[in-house]
This record gives sequence, structure tokens and C-alpha cells, in this order.
Amino acid sequence: MRLLNRIFSEEYPFVLSCPALLWQFVFLYIPFAILAIHSIVDYIPEIQSYVLTSVYYVQIFNSLYFKVILRSFFLAVLTAFICFLIAYPVAYYLAMRGPKKYKTFLLFSLILPSWTSLIVQVYAWFFLLEKNGFVSRTLQALKIISPSFHLLNNYFSILLGMVSCYLPFMILPIYAVLEKMDKRLLEASADLGADKYETFKRIVFPLSLPGVYAGVLLVFIPSFGEFAIPTLLGGSKYIFWGNVIVDKFLRSRDWRSGAALVIIGIMLPIFIMLVGYLVSKIRTAYQRAAYQQKTNGPKDYWT
Amino acid sequence: MKFIRLEKVSKSYDGEVILDNLSLEINTGQFFALLGPSGCGKTTILRLLAGLESVDSGKIYLGDEDITNVPIYQRKIKTVFQQYALFPHLTVFDNVAYSLRIKKLSRDMIKSKVLDALKMVRLSGFDMKYPRNLSGGQQQRVALARALISQPEVLLLDEPLAALDLKLKEDMLIELSELQDKLQTTFVYVTHDQFEALTVSQRMAIMNEQGDIEQMGTPKEIYEFPVSRFVANFVGSTNIIEGKLHIAQNSYNVEVEGLGLFSVYTPVEKFWMIPGCRLFISIRPEKILISKKPKEGFANHLMGRVVDIIYYGRSTQYRVRLKNGQFLLVFEQNEEHFPQESIDFDEDVHLYFQKENVVLLEH
Amino acid sequence: MVDNKKFFLHFLNPVIVCIAYLFLYLPISVLVFFSFNDASFSVSWAGFSLKWYKKIVTSPEVLSALKTSLIVAFITTFLSVLIGTAFVVASKWWRNKFITNLFVSNILIPEIVLAIGILSIFTFFQIPLGYGSLIAGHTLLGLGFVIPIVKARYSELDPVLTEASLDLGATHFQTFRKVIIPLLMPSLIASSLLVFTLSMDDFLISLFCSGPTVQTLSVYVYSMIRTGIDPMINAISTCFLVISSLLVFLLCSLKVIDQVISYE
Repeated sequence: MRLLNRIFSEEYPFVLSCPALLWQFVFLYIPFAILAIHSIVDYIPEIQSYVLTSVYYVQIFNSLYFKVILRSFFLAVLTAFICFLIAYPVAYYLAMRGPKKYKTFLLFSLILPSWTSLIVQVYAWFFLLEKNGFVSRTLQALKIISPSFHLLNNYFSILLGMVSCYLPFMILPIYAVLEKMDKRLLEASADLGADKYETFKRIVFPLSLPGVYAGVLLVFIPSFGEFAIPTLLGGSKYIFWGNVIVDKFLRSRDWRSGAALVIIGIMLPIFIMLVGYLVSKIRTAYQRAAYQQKTNGPKDYWT
Repeated sequence: MKFIRLEKVSKSYDGEVILDNLSLEINTGQFFALLGPSGCGKTTILRLLAGLESVDSGKIYLGDEDITNVPIYQRKIKTVFQQYALFPHLTVFDNVAYSLRIKKLSRDMIKSKVLDALKMVRLSGFDMKYPRNLSGGQQQRVALARALISQPEVLLLDEPLAALDLKLKEDMLIELSELQDKLQTTFVYVTHDQFEALTVSQRMAIMNEQGDIEQMGTPKEIYEFPVSRFVANFVGSTNIIEGKLHIAQNSYNVEVEGLGLFSVYTPVEKFWMIPGCRLFISIRPEKILISKKPKEGFANHLMGRVVDIIYYGRSTQYRVRLKNGQFLLVFEQNEEHFPQESIDFDEDVHLYFQKENVVLLEH
Repeated sequence: MVDNKKFFLHFLNPVIVCIAYLFLYLPISVLVFFSFNDASFSVSWAGFSLKWYKKIVTSPEVLSALKTSLIVAFITTFLSVLIGTAFVVASKWWRNKFITNLFVSNILIPEIVLAIGILSIFTFFQIPLGYGSLIAGHTLLGLGFVIPIVKARYSELDPVLTEASLDLGATHFQTFRKVIIPLLMPSLIASSLLVFTLSMDDFLISLFCSGPTVQTLSVYVYSMIRTGIDPMINAISTCFLVISSLLVFLLCSLKVIDQVISYE
């Protein structure tokens, strides 16, 4: 009993945090270390030892693997962008203009479809869009498309699937920020002469940017690694980063170049987050520098 | 001379009636205070004036113009909010410049106006700071500058000093008063703190919990000559004694059960004062003289026993029990370090007051 | 001219909301609708029937996959909440503040990378894949949810309460049991429900890390999809949807939903 007490008091804080940290290390960090090592090490049978090599990385940059990475990157950007375009108005409406009583209900009916398995959502689109399916036959009947036109297995269907799966992840953070916004700031803005549009431009949107940033992160990074949606809705016509990795690890057992790909793939989002972090640091530094100036500061500050 | 005029304004919220056919007039260039207990509707009036809410019925006039349906961002009325509502992502400069930027003034013009405004509220040099780095008092001054820079016709202040401590409050009240005097803008100041209202306003209105205006007048009028028990009690403290009116030739007297007859002043034409009617006497505690020894020259005299003494620093408050069981509050200014006569608990004391120092109230 | 633009935007807003709703609900509505279809190949409506549901209830593969999913989900939830809460409670005493942000990466990193990681370590140490690797992976994800949600609630707790409890004579452990846990309960419930659903729904990690002997329901569905349309999938999917709706309903009614939003 005394031991339990000591664990829960400040004497042994590490005991309680150990399991979680252990788990994280064993199943996340060590594997990455292993992968990282795998990707830069090569076994030469002739001399029966390992050498450091960058051949796997070089391979990636020289070949069509690089195209694959770019393609995934582009898809992720596109998905994030379209999600943003749709999610922002929706979040704005729910947070600012929606009927107060049903706000939570509306929000969660919006989240509900995405809170089912990815498989279910993908299959739903698959079912909807497949050649002999509901939508196809309706559009054929209305003579909008020809009988041989495939709604499925193209970039458009992949995008549809991506956006519909990731849209709620963009809506939630933006909603959270907008909802928590101090409404009195909006009153003050109106009081000072700004109509709804000006208030949005000057107050609401700038203050909602943290939510937008969170949403972009939540959508961009996972959609970069998305492989099920392109496979099932794109019909193996397009190869993305996720597909290549699956292939390398599960099929061709080419672990070393697979590991290199994984490392590059993780580096990308980390790099982006780093850039974002640096940008905000630069901004604050610039503002601090501007403050150091006297009151009649440089003219271009007063915009 | 422009007036602010509310004409028969009604406002309900969620089925609850806050204001019912209320009419109010405020003169130009005045420092006007709206005083009342929490929930009486004074903030609602402010919001209606600002345009943050719309009236259910009635009209609002600013001078000759009917502004009832004018949207908030087009009104020439600006507000200082209770918690200042400064934009956290903008610097002090940008906050103050906000309304000018909306109007699309030139960059140089904005710059000079903002710096002047900051100088006016004594915050020169703070223009690059963010609201989160400022103290409460400083934030409040930014809010003031921000509202006043566009030279509105009316400035509304919604309990602006509520979050400040006493010393700061007193300083800010003086500053506000001087500011208004210099600018001659109409200030409408809403508060539940009577001290603030009395100190700073030139004219004030008292509202009761039902949302009606009980009395309007200068602070002195309201304090010295309240028209109801509510006003007498709400502003300062007072003693209320119930009695029956007797009129004999030209002298007015009030008979109080158990205490006898009190001589009161001859009022000017009060239509409700029929002989024999029930009324209330209001006597302010500072207008009663308390003494252990008997004194001469006072129209009214009571005996009582001291049951409670509270020391307030500059004054001492005595609670005295009268013959008929009623209690009276008496304030005595602590004029001397070593008073000749000190009054203790459970002592029998004489209470005196003049007939001019009471107010007769109907209700 | 400017006013027209503003008015148009104002009007467009609810329209976009409607389109979004349509967009999100159309596919699954059609899916559910056709799960009651009588025809064998669900391209046209042949009448209302529950035969596909009967089929999945009697299919041994479905049932065994369901059993696997449930076992993994329960164990994952239990482990995640246990370990995660312990970590959050201990995090107060770490000097380094950023340590609690470690676990956010579990959600931000593409799931496929997580899956590869689990796969590689198990293979490296030559441990056969199965329930162990599944639970390992799911719990990793679960921690990424539990820790921020519980942390948000925990940091809102007034430390005065702990001090008051100790002052009144309770030991640290008793304080934990009687004061902290009850106050954390909404976040614990919310994160349990979340992690449970997550584990049931999870597909990527299950695909990679379950090995030849074990199969969860999602993976089973995936393998079915690869062979084409089958109304049984519609039926299973509808069941998934029902479970999710129940979860959302539970969260809403227990008013723990704010926990989730604040985490976001």
C-alpha cells in the first residue's frame, strides 16, 4: 500500500509514465530506428559484412518512385485544398449561423459518416459509382453519359473518395476554433463600423487560422499515406506512395528500399511542420524587431 | 442640441419582458449615468442604443434622425465593452485604427490620428504592444481610444470599471470625467455601483428591477431628494420610518407608532399628501446627530440604545435601537483623533435631526 | 456591386452546407438501402429482403472475424485507457513540458507507416504476427487519442482539489481513486468509446499486422471488396454504421462530446 502511494505521489513519477513511454519506444521509435538503419545499410555477401550506403535513396530520386512521391504529395495537397474550400463554409455556418439548439446534433450528423470504418466509406463510393450501379444507370438513362463511360477507376473517383473521407477532419478543428471565438469581439467589430463581411475578413478569419492549420495537418498527412482509397477507387491505374510501400513490404519483400521510402515519406510531413514552425518564429521575430523601432517606425509597417 | 431619445421602447428576451414602454431622453454633451441593480435592463438599453439588439417596439432617435432600424455598423454610437473586447491578434495601434481602416482613410491620416488618440489616453509608446501584454487599466484605455477615435456622437460605457481595483477605479473615474469634459461627447455610463455613478455623472437615471426608470436628475437631486424608497435605499443608505401625516395650519407632522410626532418640512405642492395618509420618512444616516448628552436647537429628538458599532475609517456607523423596536443607522464623521465623547455598545444615546433634512415619500 | 457580392456569399453559405451533407450521406444511404435488396447482384432493386443479414449472421467467416475484432478492440481499449491515463497523471511531474506532445505523432503519422513499423519490429525479432501485433498497433493509435483527451481534462482540474483532499487526510492513492478518477470520468468514457470504435473500424494496421492466422472484420470486408460487389458487404457495412451511430448517440447523450471537440 505504501508503495502504491509513493507511486502516485511525486516521488516516483516515472513508474506511471513508464508503460506508455515503453510502448511508444518499442512499437514506434525502435521500429523507425530499425527502418532507418535498414535503409542506409547494405549487406555485401563477398565480404560478409554491412556497409553504409545511400544507394536506396539515390534509387528513389532517380526513378519513377520519385514521380510516385510527387503524385502522392499532389493528391494530398489537392485533397486538403478541396476539403478546406468545403469545410470552412460548413464550419462557419455551424458555429456562427446555425440554429443554436441543434448545433451539436448537426455537427455530429456531419461527423457520423466518417466515424465508420474507412472500408465502409470507400465501399459506399465504389458501390455508388461502379459501372452497373445506381448513379451510372441513372445518368445513362438521362442521357448525360454514354454506356461505356466509367465513373470509377479514375482520378476523379479517387478524389471524391478522399474528400468525403477526410472532410470531417477539416471541419472539426475549424468548427472548434470558430465556436470558441469570443463573440464579443465580433460585437466590438460591428460597433466600430465593420459589417459582417469586413468583420469576417479582419477578425474571424485571422483568428480561425490555428484551426485551419490543425485541419490541414489532419488531412494532408494521412492522405499522403492513403493507399486503400486509390487502390479500390482508382483501380490500380495510379500508383501512390502507399501502394509502393505495400508492394515493397508485403509482396516483393524488398525491405531496404521500402524502408528508404518510408523514411522519406515521414520526413515530408515533418519537414512541412518544421517549415510552419519556422515561419511563425520568423513572424514573431519580425514583429519584435518592428517594436524595437521608435514610434515613427518604417512606413511599410502601417498597412 | 441633439438628444438621445428612446420612445416607448419594449424589449423581451426569451419570453421575459425586460423593458416595457420605456421612454428616456439624454441631453447632448452630457455625462449621463444609468444606475440600477443587476438584471434591471440597463445593459439592454445600452445594447439597443448601440444597435447590438433591436427593439420589439418603439423608436430610438439620435437628434432628429430615427435610428431604430439603422444597423449597428452604420450608427455613430460607439461602445466600450465591459471586458474591453480588444482584438487579441492586433496590436494596440491596429486596434485603435480599426474603425478608421474600415472607413478607408489614408495611411498618414490614420497614423496621426491613432498617435493622437493614444496620447489622449496617455498610452503613447504602447502602439506596438499586444493586448495580452497590458494591464487591465491600460487595456481599458485602449478600448476608450479605439471607440473615441472616430469621433462618435455618443460613447456608451458598459460597466467599464468593474474589473479594476478600488484605487484604479477612483483614478479612472477622474480621467473619464476630464476626458468627457474636454471632448464634450455624450457619454452614457451604465453601472450598478452608485459610487461610480454619483462621482462621474452630470445627470443620472435610476432603474428598478422591473425595468422602469424610478427617477432622473442630477446626482445631488437623486441623493438628497429621492422620490421613492427604492431610490433612497439604492443610492446610499437611509433610514425609512413609516407614519401618518398630520397637517396643522402650516406645519406638517408625521405621527409614528410608538415614537410620537415628528416635525417635518413644509413640502411644495404634493398632491398625494392628504391629512391622515400613510407615508414614509427618509432620513440619511449622516443627517442624524448622535450624542450622549442632550443638545439644544433641534426639531426632532429620539432616544435609543447602541447595539452595533462599525468603524469605517473616516466615519463610524452606529446602529441604534429605538423605543418601538425599530433600528436607525447613524453616521458620524471621525473629526478628531481623540474625541471628547466616545460612544460605546449598549449605551443610551440621544438622536437629533432637523425637519429640513428628511424626505417624505409616498411609496 | 460590392453589396451584391456580399449578399451572394451570405446566401451561398447554407447552400454549401447542404451540398456537403448530400455529399457525405448519399453514398452510405444508397449502400444501406441496397443492403435490403432481394437481388443477388445488387444493381437493380428487386424487393425488400433481409436475406443478406441472415447470411452474415450464419456465416462462420464473418462470425470469427467479428470475434477477433471484438477481442482486439476490448483489449486495446483497456490497455490504451490504462496506460494513457497513468501517463497523463504522471505527466504533471515531468519537468519537460513537451513530453506530452510525443503521442500526438501517433495520429499525425500516416497509419501505413505505423503499420510498417509494427511489422518490421515483429519480423526483426522473429515473433509471429497475430493478436499480439494487432493489439500493439491498435494500442499505439489508441494512446494517441486517449492521452490528449484525458490530458485536456486533467489540466483543467483545479490542483486545489488535490490539495484539499490531502489536507483532509487522504493519501495520494486514495486521492487518485476518490477525486481524480471520478473527475476524469467523462474523458475516460469518451476516449474509451473512441478507441473501441477506432479499433473495430481499423483496417490498415489490421491488414499489415494480423498475419495469416488472424483476421479482423474490416480486413475480411476488404478482401471481399477485391473480388467485386457483394450484397453481404452492404449488410456488414450497414452493421458498422449502426455501431458508429450508437457510439455517436452515446457520446452525445453522455455529454462527453465536448471532450472530443476540445481535443481537436
